[in-house]
Amino acid sequence: MDGVSPAEDGTATAEPGTPPAESGMSPAERGTPPAGSGTAVRRHRPASGTPSPARRAGLLAVGLALAAAAVGLRSAGLTPEERTAHLTWTGGVGDEISASRFSARVKTIHVTRAVETTDMTGRVESAGTSGIFLVADVEATARRRPQKLGRPVLLTETGGRYAATDKIDGSLTITDPDIQVGWWTEGVVVFEIPAAALAGSRIVLAPQNGFIEEALLPEAEIDLGLDGAAAERLISNAKDVYQLASNK
Amino acid sequence: MTSPLGGARRRRRPVAVPAIALTVATGLGVTVALGGLRRAPEEPPRRLGPGASLDQGGFTTRFVESRAVVWPNPFGGMGRRFLEVELQVTNRGDATVEVGAPGDGGTPGLFYAESLLRMTPAVEGGAGPVVSIPGTAAGNGETGGDDGSLGSGGGGGETAPSRQLHPDLPATVVLRYELPDSGSVPPRVRLDVGAFERREGSFTHLEREWSLVRDGEEADAPPKVVARVTLPVRTAGRV
Repeated sequence: MDGVSPAEDGTATAEPGTPPAESGMSPAERGTPPAGSGTAVRRHRPASGTPSPARRAGLLAVGLALAAAAVGLRSAGLTPEERTAHLTWTGGVGDEISASRFSARVKTIHVTRAVETTDMTGRVESAGTSGIFLVADVEATARRRPQKLGRPVLLTETGGRYAATDKIDGSLTITDPDIQVGWWTEGVVVFEIPAAALAGSRIVLAPQNGFIEEALLPEAEIDLGLDGAAAERLISNAKDVYQLASNK
Repeated sequence: MTSPLGGARRRRRPVAVPAIALTVATGLGVTVALGGLRRAPEEPPRRLGPGASLDQGGFTTRFVESRAVVWPNPFGGMGRRFLEVELQVTNRGDATVEVGAPGDGGTPGLFYAESLLRMTPAVEGGAGPVVSIPGTAAGNGETGGDDGSLGSGGGGGETAPSRQLHPDLPATVVLRYELPDSGSVPPRVRLDVGAFERREGSFTHLEREWSLVRDGEEADAPPKVVARVTLPVRTAGRV
């Protein structure tokens, strides 16, 4: 506060002193034209250089909008899962689904409590489960070069992914033979699932993927078209044993 | 004009600084009262017995029993002796998982069985246990144990074994350790069991979805033991 009073004194003295100072300064002003123009510019700048509050708010809004758009675009990008996702062709039971390099068809499905397999040597092995087995008769053909199918997957309505069971020897299923160009290779796909997972499930068939996973692999997704009632009926009519024999 | 402003400023009560000081002091007091900023003591591993269930994060496991079985030698003489640990595992995730194998010393475990961290006493020799889901769940898995001295070859050959844990489908998992020819069967075994947590990786499609809960912040911290399960070894007949 002490510093204010001298300043006040200074202004008080300056005010009365201004008229003489002006007269006294005028020769100096005339002698230094740049200083005069400088003050003119300084006086001019606030007029045109500083934007009006409305203009400033507008610029701020545009800046924020650009930043928000940049952030928004960032989140709209593909996730790693999406970037390596498969290309899916869909269809129903009985449809021929052409998925670029191969075509597949699910002919029929069976629900059973156990699967009895007979291998090439005539050895009989039975597979049991606390759930159910879903056996699908499928056939596939290749477009240009031979293919081999990877382990089929069953997608459930709740987002579950069931790999085909390993209780059935792979040599008895569609994953074993080469899928050749020109004719349809037949085989089965067997899933072990809880009974509740059957309704709304889809079978996914895709070519084998290498160790270094191929992105955008084609796959055929077959909707089994089972609503709750149809699934219930299949389960209550389930056979006790499904016979599966090697046809080699 | 300025002096009245200054006067007003002088009249303002300095509230902010004491208020902040009071808040900080209270916070410090509460922190000290609750035991300071040290890490809260870890809760000790749960102690479980036969028949107990454990939520392993992603899997629910029931520790059914442990038993000693003998496969007789078809040509006479010494049979092969095994120590079996039976678990009932339900995959609570949304994708099929392989049952895998427990870690053994330096080699890390794989998939589900990675969470079976240690068994005491350790079975010497051999290449760790054979982990499988024998034939028909629940029912047939028992037969190998009940008539252990007769031994039906562990149920293999007639019913198809599996190594998959499907979502929401309880599976009987048997760990089978081959015992050395000499030496006694331990009266009980203790399993140190870990738990899984979901972890996102930068290469999500290559990394496993579930990884073991670690005992610390460091990347190489040992897996955390969430439960110690003691199972008496049931012996049937002569072992």
